[in-house]
Amino acid sequence: MLRAAGRRILGLGSGHRAPAAAVASRGYHERVVDHYDNPRNVGSFDKNDPTVGTGLVGAPACGDVMKLQIKVDDATGKIVDACFKTFGCGSAIASSSVATEWVKGKHMEEVSSIKNTEIAKHLSLPPVKLHCSMLAEDAIKAAVKDYESKKAKLAAANAETAQTEKVASA
Amino acid sequence: MASRFAPRLLLQRLSTLRRARRTSSILVASEAPADVGGGGLFSPPGPWSVLGPRCVSRVSFSTRPSALDERQNPAAVDYRSLMSEEEFHTLADETIHDLLEKFEEYGDAIQVDGYEVDYGNHVLTLKLGSLGTYVINKQTPNRQIWLSSPVSGPARFDWDSTAKTWVYRRTKAALLQLLEGEVGQLCGEPISLR
Repeated sequence: MLRAAGRRILGLGSGHRAPAAAVASRGYHERVVDHYDNPRNVGSFDKNDPTVGTGLVGAPACGDVMKLQIKVDDATGKIVDACFKTFGCGSAIASSSVATEWVKGKHMEEVSSIKNTEIAKHLSLPPVKLHCSMLAEDAIKAAVKDYESKKAKLAAANAETAQTEKVASA
Repeated sequence: MASRFAPRLLLQRLSTLRRARRTSSILVASEAPADVGGGGLFSPPGPWSVLGPRCVSRVSFSTRPSALDERQNPAAVDYRSLMSEEEFHTLADETIHDLLEKFEEYGDAIQVDGYEVDYGNHVLTLKLGSLGTYVINKQTPNRQIWLSSPVSGPARFDWDSTAKTWVYRRTKAALLQLLEGEVGQLCGEPISLR
């Protein structure tokens, strides 16, 4: 159900069913196909939730848009859940899917060190698709930054409120 | 149930983006370290930390670049105003054709197994056999040249009109220098691309 609608959105062309073994040089690697056939963590969190960080990268004009969201445990700074939605090629989808898998359970500082080269290697991306893995790395970083900026804004707002209250009660 | 509509919602959102884009700046997709947020198209609220410019936290379809954007996003670039498409094509094609010629000459001069230069659909592919493959292509919406290197991975170069070179803003690397260095090292013979 999701897959049928997803196929139109997720932008995968006619080559997606080609078994990786048969089309050695031009097919998608089996891991990429796997992420497409068995999508992990596709979905959305409430972006207004203060524990959620949203990274939106790319541009439709370029043919690639990735939205990667993380749910962070405020107390520990660990990412407890992640989800993504990607508009783009199979490699872009797989890259962002892998990104959501890898960030789960990790601390926020740790995930900033996830490199596009690792994602590309894991998916055996061909040279022309390395840009997809970089986009995924950027999406992770964007999500982390978003969460941190939200947290900072909230802290600033709370401090302001506390200040106002102090003045009022003085 | 929710999942059936979710992709449709994303598609709707993206088509609204496309419509909004015509009247406002393109979502920034360069690697300028000073860039933050998405220019005029997405109006990110609140304080932004400096990061790669394609990061926004909210898709709000306002088409007015707000004062907020200017302060936090000083280098938000509307690529269409930076360089016309025609100018971009001329510049980029010149660079890529030049590279094509030089790579072909280089290939004649050196002995690398599987050395192959390919140019089709404005995409330049330089195969160095087992040493790896370079792909260089134009990314017109962003007025960029994209490179995929077996050594340094993906990179996106913007035209620096002062220096008259293509520069990857994240690392400040210049396209031709980068290629000279990497290809020269991989193949063991210096190459001049400038």
